Amino acid sequence: MSSGVGRLRTGLDRAAAKMLDATVLERIGIAIGSTALALLIGLVIVAASGYDPIQFANQLVVGSFGSERAIARTLRYSTLFVLAGVSVAIAFRAGVFNIGVQGQFIVGGFATVVSIVSLAPYLPDGTIGGVALMVIGTIAAIVAGGLYAALPGVLKAYGGANEIITTIMLNFIAIGFVGWLVAGRFGDPEATATRTERMPDTVGFPSVVFDDPNLSIVGILVTVVVVVVVAAVMTRTSFGYDMVTSGYQESAATYSGVDAKRMIVSTMTFSGMVAGLGGAIFAIMIQGYFTDPSGIGNYGFDAIAVSLLAANNPLGVVPAGLLFGGLESSSSHIQINSDVPVQLIDGIVGLVVLFVAVPELFRMIARRTGLGGESR
Amino acid sequence: MSVADYAQRERVQLAGATVVALLIAAAVFTFVFDIALERLLTVGFLTRSLEMATPIALAAIGGLYAEKSGVFNIGLEGFMIFGAFSAAATMYLLGGTSPSQLDVWLAIAIAVLISAILTVFFAVLLIHFKADQIVAGLAVWFLGLGFAPFTAAIIWGSRSSPGLESINSLAFGQSPLVVLTVIVVLASWVFLYRTKYGYWIQAAGENPEALDTAGVDVNRVRYATVIFSGAMAGLGGAVLLAHAGNFVGTGETMVDGRGWIGIVAYLFGNYNPIGAAAAALLFGGLDMLNVQFQTVGIEVSARLVNLLPYAAVIVVLTAWGKTRMPSSVGEPYESED
Repeated sequence: MSSGVGRLRTGLDRAAAKMLDATVLERIGIAIGSTALALLIGLVIVAASGYDPIQFANQLVVGSFGSERAIARTLRYSTLFVLAGVSVAIAFRAGVFNIGVQGQFIVGGFATVVSIVSLAPYLPDGTIGGVALMVIGTIAAIVAGGLYAALPGVLKAYGGANEIITTIMLNFIAIGFVGWLVAGRFGDPEATATRTERMPDTVGFPSVVFDDPNLSIVGILVTVVVVVVVAAVMTRTSFGYDMVTSGYQESAATYSGVDAKRMIVSTMTFSGMVAGLGGAIFAIMIQGYFTDPSGIGNYGFDAIAVSLLAANNPLGVVPAGLLFGGLESSSSHIQINSDVPVQLIDGIVGLVVLFVAVPELFRMIARRTGLGGESR
Repeated sequence: MSVADYAQRERVQLAGATVVALLIAAAVFTFVFDIALERLLTVGFLTRSLEMATPIALAAIGGLYAEKSGVFNIGLEGFMIFGAFSAAATMYLLGGTSPSQLDVWLAIAIAVLISAILTVFFAVLLIHFKADQIVAGLAVWFLGLGFAPFTAAIIWGSRSSPGLESINSLAFGQSPLVVLTVIVVLASWVFLYRTKYGYWIQAAGENPEALDTAGVDVNRVRYATVIFSGAMAGLGGAVLLAHAGNFVGTGETMVDGRGWIGIVAYLFGNYNPIGAAAAALLFGGLDMLNVQFQTVGIEVSARLVNLLPYAAVIVVLTAWGKTRMPSSVGEPYESED
């Protein structure tokens, strides 16, 4: 018994030390530092490749916030990054590395389209039918995303399979399998591109406030609600408390009676549900049908960077998601208005993740430059 | 039970299960699909499987060394992308769209060098700055997914390269790179289990304090293995490219998860280079089943058959997930003095 208490104590001590080690301010500093350093290196690479870095920086700003259209586009991408980022944050906070958000997002969005297209003939036309279809489609996405994430959770908890690798494999499988379905069984024979049938016109969010067919205040509201609910669950409920404790100090959580294996499965399911919801928003608000998932954008992968920038805090995901929405938005702008290959933005995202992984680097810079002075 | 007994039992278990799985697969094909096995298991299939297995095996050997010494190099996939891309770019710069065989070999060598140099930075972040090994490793993947297609677009105006040159086979139809891989696998087994340096690597992962007490710098051993792992992953990527003959940078690039599969290969092979290579051959064979199915006329979508290796990885990880990791993996080591 005494050894158990002893271990709990050292565990709590270590957790406390960790908290002191990285205060909120320090985390914000690291996030801003990582982003700034990554962008700076990006500009150096632009210059080294023979393009004009100032023009490129200008296009980054213009393409993300320069016009009403750009702002609407930024917000549209931001909703997806925030939802996917919250999904990652839930898992990472609980110490489970769900790298499979991309796959859960795809499976969720596909479930939305399939359920809506197949049920549409049985429901009345008009607004009521449309709303009913959207509710059903969203629930289908949440269930599908949750189940697709629960699988690696079960394999980790009861089979000991490393979730980093299983979720990455499940991403490849989701892309291949859904791609196969979109091209075959669920493909629209009349469409020129590889895609499913279009969902009925009654399915779609109203365009109020923003004059952009692919952005709706409804999508933004759903996102805000999800952020608030997840933040509340994680900080104000015993489920959330157990989840976060098992992430920071597994032995302490076990000692207080948490079933670690079930916690892994619940965490993954919760995380996948949010990812699936993101897929639903993507299908309903943006696409209107589902295309080959190998080309839909890496929302679920970039969400890892979003969550890490936010120190895996659901509220912090909002500014980080806006930043990534802006980057994505400006990359559509750059693709049209610049010769710089747009893949550079993906590289910059990689640099952000790399720097976030090395807080010690920034502590050293802070010590050398005297910035953040008394923190040590 | 001694360590040797334990390893022996693991190996018997592994071999037994693999044989059973293959027998079941064979029975399914003969009775359900009514297909003569000799048409499915051809010499060409073996050759293609070996070619597909080499990049995975090389990355696995690298990852195995790093993890044996106590560092989890999850960036293998990223270094493979850098290796494949550097090989393609070097080949193009040396010989345009019709490089010679010498250019191909030079390109492989330079790709290994570039990957090793990139890994030096990675190793400094991991070991000196105590970076989070998982997050930093993922970052390497993202960097590869971004910068390789970016640079490709600058050189070729597109994310993929035009047709370059693939390596010539030897007299008996085998790629010389397969032979090279077999040599690397055997050499890395001997080095790890039969030399003083091999014991240092194992000690750095199992009991760094003891190694330190014996007067060996733990972090120097770890620097060496991590840089070696990046170079091996780069070689794996370059070999993949030399077999394919052109670089593909769309989607998840031509590497397409092979680095991740490499990690599973060495887990499945129980951190033994020969076991890892055998596991790589299994995954390589699954990757090439597609071609076999087409030649015997089994009507399955190529896209679905291509998912088999990924599914196999999940099955393998679940059945053998609890491999015994070196005890100090993931912990930065700080010397007392």
